[in-house]
Amino acid sequence: MPGMKQAIRRIPALEWPLRPILGIGLGAAFLYAGVQKYLGPDDFAQAILAYQLLPEALVGLAAAGLPWLELAAGLLLVLGFLMETTDRLAVGFGLNFETGLSGVMFRRSSLLLILPQLGLFILVLGITMARGLKIDCGCGLLADRQVGPGAILEDALLFGAAGWLYWRECQAGDREEGSLILVQPKS
Amino acid sequence: MRQNHGAAISAKKDLVWVVSLLALTFTLGAAQHWPLVKASFKGELTTYLQQRRDERRAVQFKEIRTLTLNEAYALWQEGRSLVIDARHTQDYRELHVPGAVNLPPESWKNLKDSPGLAGLDHGRQIMIYCSQESCDDALKLAVKLKALGFARVLAFTGGFRAWDEAGYPADTGS
Repeated sequence: MPGMKQAIRRIPALEWPLRPILGIGLGAAFLYAGVQKYLGPDDFAQAILAYQLLPEALVGLAAAGLPWLELAAGLLLVLGFLMETTDRLAVGFGLNFETGLSGVMFRRSSLLLILPQLGLFILVLGITMARGLKIDCGCGLLADRQVGPGAILEDALLFGAAGWLYWRECQAGDREEGSLILVQPKS
Repeated sequence: MRQNHGAAISAKKDLVWVVSLLALTFTLGAAQHWPLVKASFKGELTTYLQQRRDERRAVQFKEIRTLTLNEAYALWQEGRSLVIDARHTQDYRELHVPGAVNLPPESWKNLKDSPGLAGLDHGRQIMIYCSQESCDDALKLAVKLKALGFARVLAFTGGFRAWDEAGYPADTGS
């Protein structure tokens, strides 16, 4: 575009590495948990049954659908941050290259899928602890772990990270469909 | 005003993505695992899972002989077998089969040096249990012990829950 040049949105120095690291880490955690559940749908159904919270008629659907949901959310989040990182690096090195894809949409929608899931997990774990049930967590991240404060803390940390990332995405606003904006150079 | 309009469009786009992804993932999941979903809808999930577990164990743990609750109780009453509790230590300390030795999963890396097995005759009959019917730990430990040379290893798959629910004796402490 004549008279225009690409510029990187100014962000605080510490935030630049922190956001993609957190985002890709969170996405990878969801991908890993999704794969574990995807590989063992019967075990996951058994784990959901043990919580005694969901009607049996819905346990099968939850055990079949949740792993796919975690996989999709994790994959989109990782892709969204990889696109942003690629674009930023390309501009930083003065390369005329853009992915041309809307990474911001991937990031926001995947975070919108992840946040309610984590909120639900924390609620379910809290209720189960309060009821005194000693059952396998079925979280998919660490094997053979029982419901307890450790599992709740882990989900609370992930929830905090996802919440912060979503808040930053909302602050960036819709004016940047992606990480780069076009600006008019000062004459 | 213009900014609010942009934000509204953006929120709408986000929502469309989220709803589409939810519909897509649950449709794919249901299609892939339709027998599981169908059994659940029909209220037959527990039977379905039990059947699938039995099929899997018949292949995965085919060399391990399993015991029913009555057989396990009779064996314990004889008092000649070593009983191993394969649950986590905290659960073992709360309640366990009297005389059982605790070998929790975290100790399986160094089974050879485990105090519970030190000096044990490899011909001695061993009965292992874990928490409940759905847990595989008793079977997994049985495979490991067989690999170490213990020939007469049996797994009580009903687990401590079945034992406790039958009202059989139980001990606390370590």
